[in-house]
Amino acid sequence: MTTQEIFRKLAELQANGIPACLATITETAGSTPREPGAKMIVCADGAIYGSVGGGCGENQARSAALRCLLKTKAPELLEVDLNDDLGVKGGDVCGGKMWIFVEPFRPH
Amino acid sequence: MNQIERIVDLIARKENFCLATVIASSNPDAPAGTKAIVLVDGTMEGSVGPAHMDRALQTLAMQALADGQKHAVQLAEGFRVFLDLPPADLKLLICGAGHIAVPLARFAREAGFSVTVLDDRADFAHPSRFPGCEVIAEDFTTALRKMSLDPAAYVVVITRGHEHDAQCLTEILPKVTAYVGLIGSRRRGRFVLEALGRKGIPAGRLGEVFTPIGLPIGAESPEEIALSIAAELVCMRRKGALTARALRSLEAGK
Repeated sequence: MTTQEIFRKLAELQANGIPACLATITETAGSTPREPGAKMIVCADGAIYGSVGGGCGENQARSAALRCLLKTKAPELLEVDLNDDLGVKGGDVCGGKMWIFVEPFRPH
Repeated sequence: MNQIERIVDLIARKENFCLATVIASSNPDAPAGTKAIVLVDGTMEGSVGPAHMDRALQTLAMQALADGQKHAVQLAEGFRVFLDLPPADLKLLICGAGHIAVPLARFAREAGFSVTVLDDRADFAHPSRFPGCEVIAEDFTTALRKMSLDPAAYVVVITRGHEHDAQCLTEILPKVTAYVGLIGSRRRGRFVLEALGRKGIPAGRLGEVFTPIGLPIGAESPEEIALSIAAELVCMRRKGALTARALRSLEAGK
């Protein structure tokens, strides 16, 4: 999905009254699957559009987005370590670290 | 127009801009999630706090735009902003809507290109064959004369015959593009390019045409060939023409 398609989707969700979260990689250190600026939209039903790199890291972003949409309603800066035990077991062996900003977009 | 619609609009108009998002803040007036857009000329839409903070952000955003570097910055203690540079969609024009064009359009779209397909046969250049693409069924020359190509455009010429290939290249090569690839064997490619040379297209420009098209991965089926072309497009985009040519010369040594 292109960046343009991501923002278009976000605008469309907003216009249709569907709350959604945008997750954006803001910083990386070491080897990571994607670079800063990579984006993913998460809806309250768990649907995702785009990708922040797949695997456990992306799943953490998805969980943070659902937490934000269903509970906290507040943005979160998520630190994802692709080197921890869980990551290695799950196949995330890039070895780096990334920070993902997760923010809610409410319908108008 | 809200901020997201404004972003869609800017990207669609291929404007360079910096999207600044507050990602950490203890200031209730500019909480995390607050956004401002900074255009190349410094115009700022939105605010991230007091005037001095906006000025500091404006300077950093313009720097990021000049360097092409997206990154996170600390503007004050506990106040961080991500300076994003949302890219315009890459444009791919496919001349020829045959067997290779179908998987190529699909692969390229998924890799982030916005794809236009052109053929003079309406049953081939049919929207049902190219979901998510702009499809033009029109004479090659007529359509290409009307079409604006810019230096960021990628063009793949894979029509059903070398006369049509030559027609397309006659219109395309006088314009500046990021990439032009031409299908066919080394011989057919040379034949088409020599004919264009005789019609006055400079040798330097002809030399920029990637032919045979695609990275040399031994592709045979239409899908495999589409994959090798898509790989060449990605290589051009991410690593540039030198690397894309170097990869081809691996094969040329044979």
